[in-house]
Amino acid sequence: MTAVLLKAIRDLRRRRLPAIVIFGTTLLAVLTATMTLSLMSQARDPYQAAFDAQKGAHLQVTFDSRIDPATLAGTPGLIGAAAFGGPYPATDMQFRAGGHKYLVTTIGRDNPNGEVEQLRVTAGRWPVANNEIALTRSFADLNHVSVGDRLTVLSVPEQPVLNVTALVADIDEARADVGGQQHSWVLTTAIGPLTLKGSSSYRMNYRFASDPTAAQLQARTEKLHASLPAGSVTDSVNYLFISSIFHVSTQVLTSVLMAFSVFALAATAAIVANLVTGIVISGYREIGIMKAVGFTPVQVVGVFELQVLVPAAAACIVGIPAGTVLGQPLVASSSQALGLAYQATFSPAIDALALGGALLIVALAALIPAVRAGLLKPAIVIANASAPRGQSGRWLRRLASRARLPRPVVLGLGDATARPVRAILTLAAVFLGIATMYVALGETGSFYGIYKYEGHLGNVDVVVTKSPAMADTDATQLISSQPETERFVAQTITGISVPGIADPAYSVVLRGNSSALGYQVTSGRWINGPGEVVAPAGLLHDAHLKLGDTFTATYHGSALKVRVVGVLYDLVSGPGGHELIVDWSTIAAAAPDLSPSSYLVTLKPGSSVDSYVKRMAAAQPDLLDVQANSTGDTAFLNSIAGVLFAIAAVIALIAVAGIFNTLMLNTRERVRDTATLKALGMSPRELIGMVASSAGFLALVGALIAVPAGIWLSRELFDLIISSVGGTAPPPSAHGAFEPWQVVVIPVAGVIVAIAAAVIPGRWAARTNVVEVLHAE
Amino acid sequence: MDGRAFFRAFRGGGGTKGMTDLVSLTDVTKVYQGGITGALNGISVTVEKGEFTAIMGPSGSGKSTMLNLVAGLDKPSSGTVVVGGTDLGKLGEAGLARFRRDHIGFVFQFFHLLPNLTALENILIPAQLKGNTATVRARELLEELGIKDVADSYPARMSGGQQQRVAIARALINNPTLLLADEPTGALDTRTGDQVMELLGQLHRNGQTILLVTHDAKLATRHAARVISVMDGKIVDDARLESPERAPSDVIRVRGEEASR
Repeated sequence: MTAVLLKAIRDLRRRRLPAIVIFGTTLLAVLTATMTLSLMSQARDPYQAAFDAQKGAHLQVTFDSRIDPATLAGTPGLIGAAAFGGPYPATDMQFRAGGHKYLVTTIGRDNPNGEVEQLRVTAGRWPVANNEIALTRSFADLNHVSVGDRLTVLSVPEQPVLNVTALVADIDEARADVGGQQHSWVLTTAIGPLTLKGSSSYRMNYRFASDPTAAQLQARTEKLHASLPAGSVTDSVNYLFISSIFHVSTQVLTSVLMAFSVFALAATAAIVANLVTGIVISGYREIGIMKAVGFTPVQVVGVFELQVLVPAAAACIVGIPAGTVLGQPLVASSSQALGLAYQATFSPAIDALALGGALLIVALAALIPAVRAGLLKPAIVIANASAPRGQSGRWLRRLASRARLPRPVVLGLGDATARPVRAILTLAAVFLGIATMYVALGETGSFYGIYKYEGHLGNVDVVVTKSPAMADTDATQLISSQPETERFVAQTITGISVPGIADPAYSVVLRGNSSALGYQVTSGRWINGPGEVVAPAGLLHDAHLKLGDTFTATYHGSALKVRVVGVLYDLVSGPGGHELIVDWSTIAAAAPDLSPSSYLVTLKPGSSVDSYVKRMAAAQPDLLDVQANSTGDTAFLNSIAGVLFAIAAVIALIAVAGIFNTLMLNTRERVRDTATLKALGMSPRELIGMVASSAGFLALVGALIAVPAGIWLSRELFDLIISSVGGTAPPPSAHGAFEPWQVVVIPVAGVIVAIAAAVIPGRWAARTNVVEVLHAE
Repeated sequence: MDGRAFFRAFRGGGGTKGMTDLVSLTDVTKVYQGGITGALNGISVTVEKGEFTAIMGPSGSGKSTMLNLVAGLDKPSSGTVVVGGTDLGKLGEAGLARFRRDHIGFVFQFFHLLPNLTALENILIPAQLKGNTATVRARELLEELGIKDVADSYPARMSGGQQQRVAIARALINNPTLLLADEPTGALDTRTGDQVMELLGQLHRNGQTILLVTHDAKLATRHAARVISVMDGKIVDDARLESPERAPSDVIRVRGEEASR
């Protein structure tokens, strides 16, 4: 063992450059993998921990305001709740703060404590007066509202002013940027003056002795529906749904990180295999001598394995702690959003897994060439003194020669493919480097596409949100009177009950040319008139419906006979994917008081959106919130994009290292040929050109394969990620499109970078000492 | 094989009359890094156009170093090396490459053919580096050197003699001013070595200036018209030898040393 160790360490000292390449590539790969593992295996589920600490409600139900609160007080016993909160009066309230308007559900609650849904005050104090309000911390952070700020309520004519006295951590709204309900709290006695007629309700929170399953929750909700007067239950949401919203960001990030870690490790394996192959080839005679003096085949394998494992282990020693540390902000953001104290996640098990996994991959990558070295016959190897020269690539050289390319280029192309295995491994590294860029671009494009789709970007220019205090006719008249208005669609959100589904489905009611909003129908068609609905596959599946079926929906106790005419593409299936889209004419008779909450306006071509927005906002500054349509806050998406591109850059670096490594191997292996060419009169520039041609060729071929493959991979990964968060497979049009320049510039840049990487090996070749090399025989 | 009539067409220079200095080394010293004594110690010698000169000496005497300096493959530590009127010390790397391409043909002991090129392709390399297409001439060289059959073969499939002939053809493709040969028969058997030397002799008779390095005295005296003996980096003898075509000539006096017959 001593001899093996001694030989391996001495060889490592002699071959510093390959050791550095192994160290660098393994470091980058293991860093990425450790970040992923840290995120995947947090010591505890932060949401569950916060839920337990907050005594969260398993079920939150909204009731019609006409129901007797005393009746509601009896519902906990009806459904077997171990604890309850409420009934709390609630209303949808619009207010203005800092020049922006917001719509939140405001709940009347006299203290943040209680048996269920305890709210942790993180700043300030709970309201003690009717002109005081508490907001969630995530809402406040997102919209830059602080304790001490004043809000003007716009949804009631009196427009009272409320002082923000508290910020609370509410796990139901842990990530305001991702979505979910937005809440605020005032005293119970303050709710009345803040409530506009027709917009009040009651809220009840229920907690059970043990965490119920989705089926159990559905059963309990159905019992409420059945036990109370029709239309009493207007909405409900359970903890499983809220948990899924919270986790979607982590799941998406974890899925992406995992995919990219695999890419990085694969690229590292390709480079290590290439390196060891090169070391074996360059040390051919030495291997023969080793065997002649008594090294067994296993010991020879050991010498080569150690030469890769030592730098790889060093990389793990640096990379694993670094990856763990770099992963902490991602872990911390989850805790912070839930109002939990940040707990660093350091797991020896994770570190051991990362260490063992990385070393195993590196060892396996080196195994084949190492075993080949071990099996070499000493007599043949010593007699030959050097490895057989790579003989492939002649066809390519002839092709290039016939194309009348300059001689150095012709020779360079031949060198690139002289050893097919080396060329393939190098191509693999280049492929991964470039394909990963496309995956990063494709994923971010597709995710941004979701935002655009959800926000009707490209079809809607301005979103006008109306206060409940403003009449629909006034709003529509104002919009219609603007010369730039081409068309607009009025919209409101309500809940419509579908047979077979406990909770009223999130229903979008549209008035106007709704087909122009850009909704995607994966089968069937868009709604044409009354009595027609479109719904996503998730709702249809859960309600046991299919395209063409007719069913009787219920809205506030009124029956609505409707037919499914189209299947809507929706991102998320399950409880969050229960959505219906209906035309206003379908619900008008059953909901005479229903008023649009917003208007989606399309302007005539060439119109100035800014001018329109300013003019409309000035016309009704208190009753209308007018905004240019946008994707909204994309901080979450931007952070994912940042991580993706950072890792893609890392893998691209690994690919460059792969090319560099191959060029160095080729150059050193062919040093005699290089010396001969120099003796024959090839100039230094021509020699560099020869090496650069090798690099450029490998990069070009790798790029040509990587572009279509990368685009395909990005789509497959996107579909996989959507499936992992419970979504339905998106239609092809949902995938982000690549700009033409992206398809061209990235591979061209890859070739240029590869040629730049050839400079050092090229200059090394140009500086070959002809005398030393040719007379060293 | 007697290709004298053919080789006259490829003469690199004139006959024995009207010779001029083609190579001139003046006070040349070459010391390698870490060396206590020099590989060459202040030697001065000239080689005239049309001469067939052998540089002879034991291993480590400095003979190959002299050849490398003349070829521009190495630079002296001091002194000047002038070949064909060009002071090689004034040329950079690119200039030396052009110089070798345009004026020098080099034949190595171990042939140094590019293994991934056929015989024909190997021969064409210097011409292609110069920007010429010389396929016709290359094929003629193959024919005349008796290696037409291996034109499309790779070096691994050729005998040593065939490879050396290919190397000679490669050295001649650009009509070099000076043909340098470093132990051209060192890797060949005796018979093949004799054949190669006969080839070089024929080239010389046709006017090619040849500078050959060898440790084999018999080989040197049998074929070369002039033998320079080198030992420990110094010229210890410089003798013109009798040949059927020449009258006995006087001793060439060299600077710092006298050699006698």
